[in-house]
Amino acid sequence: MKARKTKLMALLLTTSVVLAACGDAGTGSGNGNDAASGQTAPAAGDTAGTASGAADLVWWGWTPGSPLNEQYIAKFNETYPDVRITWKQTTVDDYDAAIKPALANGEGVDIFEVSAGSANGGVQIFGSKAIDLTDALKGYLGDDYADKLNEASLASMTVDGQIKALGVGTCYAGNLWINQDLFDQYNVKVPTNMAEWKEACATFEANGIIGFVQGAGQGAFNMDTWHAICDNVKPGEFTKATRGEAEWTDETFVTALNLWKSLFDEGIMQDGALGIQQYPEANNLFLSGQAAMIMMGSWYTMNCLPDTMRANMEAASSTDEPFAMVPINFPDIAGTGNVGYVFCDIDYATAVSTSAKDQKAATDFALWLGASEEGQQMIADSLNLVPVLKSVSPNWDNVTLVNGEKQNDAVQAYLTNAVNNPDNPRFGGIGADLNQAMMDVLAGVASGTMTAEEGVAHLAEVQAEQ
Amino acid sequence: MLKNDKLSKKTRMNGFFWILPAFLFLVIIIYYSIFYTFNLSTIEWDGLSPVMERVGFDNFAKMFKDKVFWKCIQNTIIYFAITFVIQNFLGFIFAAILHSDVKLPTVHKCLIFIPTILAPSTMAPVFRLMFSPQGMLQSFFTKAGIPITVDWLSKPNTALFVLMAVVIWEFTGMSFILYYAAMSQIDREVLEAAQIDGAGELRILWTMVFPFCKGTTVSLAMLGVIGALKTFDIPYLITTGGPNHATEFLGTYIYRQGIRQSHLGYAAALSVMLLVMAVVGAFLTNRANKGDS
Repeated sequence: MKARKTKLMALLLTTSVVLAACGDAGTGSGNGNDAASGQTAPAAGDTAGTASGAADLVWWGWTPGSPLNEQYIAKFNETYPDVRITWKQTTVDDYDAAIKPALANGEGVDIFEVSAGSANGGVQIFGSKAIDLTDALKGYLGDDYADKLNEASLASMTVDGQIKALGVGTCYAGNLWINQDLFDQYNVKVPTNMAEWKEACATFEANGIIGFVQGAGQGAFNMDTWHAICDNVKPGEFTKATRGEAEWTDETFVTALNLWKSLFDEGIMQDGALGIQQYPEANNLFLSGQAAMIMMGSWYTMNCLPDTMRANMEAASSTDEPFAMVPINFPDIAGTGNVGYVFCDIDYATAVSTSAKDQKAATDFALWLGASEEGQQMIADSLNLVPVLKSVSPNWDNVTLVNGEKQNDAVQAYLTNAVNNPDNPRFGGIGADLNQAMMDVLAGVASGTMTAEEGVAHLAEVQAEQ
Repeated sequence: MLKNDKLSKKTRMNGFFWILPAFLFLVIIIYYSIFYTFNLSTIEWDGLSPVMERVGFDNFAKMFKDKVFWKCIQNTIIYFAITFVIQNFLGFIFAAILHSDVKLPTVHKCLIFIPTILAPSTMAPVFRLMFSPQGMLQSFFTKAGIPITVDWLSKPNTALFVLMAVVIWEFTGMSFILYYAAMSQIDREVLEAAQIDGAGELRILWTMVFPFCKGTTVSLAMLGVIGALKTFDIPYLITTGGPNHATEFLGTYIYRQGIRQSHLGYAAALSVMLLVMAVVGAFLTNRANKGDS
């Protein structure tokens, strides 16, 4: 009798384990089926749920980070007080790894950031888990919505004819930022060519300061520097090659790779550049005043604001007062006179998850951030990005920089030049495989394990396989 | 006799019910995952898209032509050979020393073992700082007037050795503990008899203590093979597999392919290969152990 009872208990236990496992498997398979069947999510307005009532949403992303995201949410809540949004941040490098299983499970992600092309959170991959926002955008901005927004914000976020995310702002790269206070203190000329750049680095080095810092262990920033060199050698050729309109084996790219290598050989790149990351190491060295120049783009403009800079300096373990940092053109190291070219992408865009608890409320937030005057003005004034809504620009009367005298003209000229640059995507036109190949080639050439000729041949090979 | 057999069968059936929950758990969670990974390795998929393309064994064919895959294998072999020898040599020596009359033995044991329990994610930033050209080690060399530039993590031919140094620092404690436990089992009278017969300390250590600890060495070898194949945290957190794949291991490459480049099928093929190598490695070391015994 006792043995039978024991057997019964064992059977019950087994059954419960099997049922629990089946329950989990059922949930998983349900989600999988949704994806596999390729069902399209309903339009925002059709969504069931608490469309006009309270909503509790989670917004995933990697940028711009606290406290700006919380400030955006607080401003949004002035208009939509019933929508509670929690900002969930990961690092740039961990974003894909963190959000992919979350999206695949269909739980816990209502709104998420995506970017163009092969960068982290690339819309080509993650767009399959985002609803189409075309109708919502049309309803919000009118049928001429395309005229009101930056062209790249729509083009780069459209997948199979559907607008999968709303661009929040564009970021530009291809320029350097310098610590103007250090340049003034040591009476160093702002470099405009290779000779001046070397001299500036040598002067700073002699004073115990790193001249130019780059975290060349983080490949994406190497791509920025090399893209700038390519544009210096022959403007627009890099973009043509990514589109298959020019050959990677062209002499332009061999020259550009040799120039890239020369940055390491001529003492411009700091010692051990390939062993450190742009974030946090290089960024920390620059923000703590230990380095005088860095290769960063328009997203760095926010550090011209005293409060933002102070917070970022504290994060870089510096308790110093904010300094005047100024954007400068990438020096003319090829000696061609082609300077001032920058390249841009939508830095990030806001997508609404197909499994959002309240797609209406989530869409409201995406529209507010990417298409409303109020949201975009906030983006503009934070100087983190250039807004996508064409009617909005930074309200300079409301913006106080660390040192207006040194920074105002330079920053305004930089942003004006950036928005007027020709079509020149940053990562938007580069697939994941070409992206990895480019990072490999730049690290290989820099470390001397690959020649420039081998490098361009590898790029051509990968491009052909794509 | 027949009755006994029947009883034995009955007993076996009773036992079967008791192991059923764990058996099902194992089958569902582990073996299902293995078969799922194998199935995934025959597919080209980004992990989210509704479109999956069945490619057969193409991912495996691609793997054998992939230079980075072979670089991972090369790194794994070098890494295992060097860390295994140094780590176990140090562990064995420390264990032998601590079996002699050392003052404050508990303090020494703690000092040797503490690195093993520290999480690599905690220590990685420290090592990044330490081996940075602007870091602690460079400051020390500069202050001491030693003309050495600490740019080892940026060079393909030195970065792997830095990682191995970190691993040796971290896991020597594990070898030490296992050797220490093995040495505790040796009958002291045997060693004393050898001493009386005129054998020196080193000779006793090499010809008596070390052979006695052979089982431990084989176990450590098995753990070392599997550990080397699974290596991920230290290279990923310190060098992210760079520069130019110089510190790439199968673990980091699987992550790079599966997550960064969204080639989930190819990453699964690499995972299957890793599994096969881990099983073969464990089998060979186990056989070596049985052969010796």
